[in-house]
Amino acid sequence: MQGAAAEGEAVDFEPEDDDLMDEDGGAEADASASPHAPPLPKLKSAITGGASSSLSGPKKTKGRGFLQETDANRNTGLSGSDFESLATEGGPGPQRSIEGWIILVTGVHEEAQEDDLQVAFGEYGEIKNLHLNLDRRTGFVKGYALIEYEHAEEARNAIENLNGSELLTQTLSVDWAFSSGPINGPMRRKNARPTRERRSRSPRRRY
Amino acid sequence: MANEDDNGEFYLRYYVGHKGKFGHEFLEFEFRPDGKLRYANNSNYKNDTIIRKEVYLTPAVLRECRRIIGDSEIMKEDDNNWPEPDRVGRQELEIVMGNEHISFTTSKIGSLVDVQSSADPEGLRIFYYLVQDLKCFVFSLISLHFKIKPI
Repeated sequence: MQGAAAEGEAVDFEPEDDDLMDEDGGAEADASASPHAPPLPKLKSAITGGASSSLSGPKKTKGRGFLQETDANRNTGLSGSDFESLATEGGPGPQRSIEGWIILVTGVHEEAQEDDLQVAFGEYGEIKNLHLNLDRRTGFVKGYALIEYEHAEEARNAIENLNGSELLTQTLSVDWAFSSGPINGPMRRKNARPTRERRSRSPRRRY
Repeated sequence: MANEDDNGEFYLRYYVGHKGKFGHEFLEFEFRPDGKLRYANNSNYKNDTIIRKEVYLTPAVLRECRRIIGDSEIMKEDDNNWPEPDRVGRQELEIVMGNEHISFTTSKIGSLVDVQSSADPEGLRIFYYLVQDLKCFVFSLISLHFKIKPI
């Protein structure tokens, strides 16, 4: 299976998506009539399937989901590649949402009110939408808010001015919520074979 | 813990569904290590069709998701004594965080009464509330980004 994903040098997650589709797509369509062997557990193939062990070592596992019987019954709707997404514009960076730009505020005090956020964030533009979700157990604010502005400029100003500011004795973190592409960084060890881009970067010229 | 929180591996998948009169109806979402959030909702009731959406999240959003999971202490629990999935439905919660990997499976939970009457009310309560908090987070993200009502 890994060998078949040779074309996946540059596009990191695509090969796995294809794998998942093969394994789970049939199972979802007609699990009972499937002539194939029980589908492989999805997460094992997607996340822990051998590849990751090189980096972080074996994981402590827990739960009935690791039992084969359970895996055979698994019904996943996340296989396949027909997921809708919004078009991205240009290079990497924040992603526009359908009607505007969404920012995430974290470190929100559990007793904060929508008004507190309106006052602070309304300074940078009209707030088109504000979600201040509650902790289902306590009924207090969960700790984050999602705020929508119509214009990227407004969102950017809010991020620049309010990230690190204080609200009700707590320090807020403010950042974009959506991104135009995958996160690159130390977490991306999975398909860590050298890519063409990396190889082709030539040394700086010296005179 | 704080170190592991920020740099370790992270993956989350939640599924709830059943097979019945209207076929296989389910809701499922997934946070992938590269930031991709995938969301699928299939309800055949009144000829509703499947909704499948995906969008990349920033590290800030993943961090908040990890924070919610970490605070819940779900990784310390075990589904050993939770109700088995049944005809009414099943739930699956799979999380990889740091060097821990849980894959819990249980029945649908109608209300806190089901939690109280189970063999592991403390653990199941943590699961029950965490799932609601995660759904709430995902529904906000999906509905704001795509302007759809997730349910």
